[in-house]
Amino acid sequence: MQAGRRLRLPALGAVVQAWPWALLVLALLAVRLSKGAGFTDVYALLSRPFWPGSAQGEWVRSGQALNDQTRLRQLDADNRRLRSLLELQGRGGRELTAAVISRQAGGWWQQLVIGRGELQGLRPGMAVTAPGGLIGRIASVTPTTASVTLLTDPGSRVGVWVGRVRRHGLLTGIGTSRPLLRFLEKDPGVRPGDVVVTSPASTLVPPNLTVGVIQSVDERAVPASEAVVQLSAPVEAIDWVQVRLP
Amino acid sequence: MSRLARHGWCLATALVVPWLVLAAPGPLKLAGIPPAWSVLWLLPWALADGPLSGALAGAGLGLLLDALHAGSITQIPALALLGWWWGRMGRQGPAIERSFSLGLLALLGAALLGGSLILQSLLLGPWPLEPALHTWLAQTLLTALLAPLLCSLQLLLWRQQIQGGRG
Repeated sequence: MQAGRRLRLPALGAVVQAWPWALLVLALLAVRLSKGAGFTDVYALLSRPFWPGSAQGEWVRSGQALNDQTRLRQLDADNRRLRSLLELQGRGGRELTAAVISRQAGGWWQQLVIGRGELQGLRPGMAVTAPGGLIGRIASVTPTTASVTLLTDPGSRVGVWVGRVRRHGLLTGIGTSRPLLRFLEKDPGVRPGDVVVTSPASTLVPPNLTVGVIQSVDERAVPASEAVVQLSAPVEAIDWVQVRLP
Repeated sequence: MSRLARHGWCLATALVVPWLVLAAPGPLKLAGIPPAWSVLWLLPWALADGPLSGALAGAGLGLLLDALHAGSITQIPALALLGWWWGRMGRQGPAIERSFSLGLLALLGAALLGGSLILQSLLLGPWPLEPALHTWLAQTLLTALLAPLLCSLQLLLWRQQIQGGRG
């Protein structure tokens, strides 16, 4: 009996005294299982004063912007070259800014009159844009003014393109602030939110100009689907427009 | 021969109509639609000056306004017809002076003008009817509301000019 008690008591004491080591082992196990979460976090906290400064971040961003610009120029040059090979109309080089001197966006005719005309090189058919995208085409010119038929006018017809689904359509004014996009196919696969741009194959207006966003789609329309387009340029609010010169 | 047109400035007041169409003053719009300024000018002119003068003034005004708009629909037939009709009314029977009568005639005139534009558009091809009806209704109502004030003043002025010319 005495020998048994002597053997058991020291073993229990050792276990009691070793509890900090047990905690350490458990902590190490936790670190191992968590893939070193605590250590790296503490390291990040301690080393924060030595992290790369904001100047280096700016260098990276400006390098990225330069890279983007270079890439854009290359793509633009490629696009122009391919368009010339395909004998498609280009986007035009120059833009002429003109003030809106009369705005008739409601009523029987939906048009603007702008304060530049034939003397400044404007001709019927030229595309007119505003901050946001295409708003219409010049219908007639006088020596110092030009009349612009808006995309919302019932007489307006412009070929457009929905890039996400690669589908062509005809944007038709219906006399309201939102023109109607008539597709050539029964099921074009478009959905609200798709961006509408001028057709890359258009010969009437420069290609790839932003027109608006599809607001709703009527798939039951006959003979093909139709969509209502919210124009991206606010015709009621703009006072200055740009005319695309060839 | 038009008695009013002998005074050059009377005829020149017709130029206010295309200027108002171009300026499209915002406070004088109903749901974004302006009144038929041509009707508001032509009604007192025709009532004061007779059917021939009214028809010619309507045709001339139509020519001016057609020049301001793209497309092939025209206001000339409706305005010439209205000028002739109102001119006959001014010559036959008692003089039309009451505000209610002027408002009613302007309402009918704006409705006829809008109707002729809708009809021409429908004849030229498919045309969305719902926005056209909205424009037609708003323009007719607004023209009728403005007519008692604007047409009464013009009618008074034209009659004074005609009586002054006689004297």
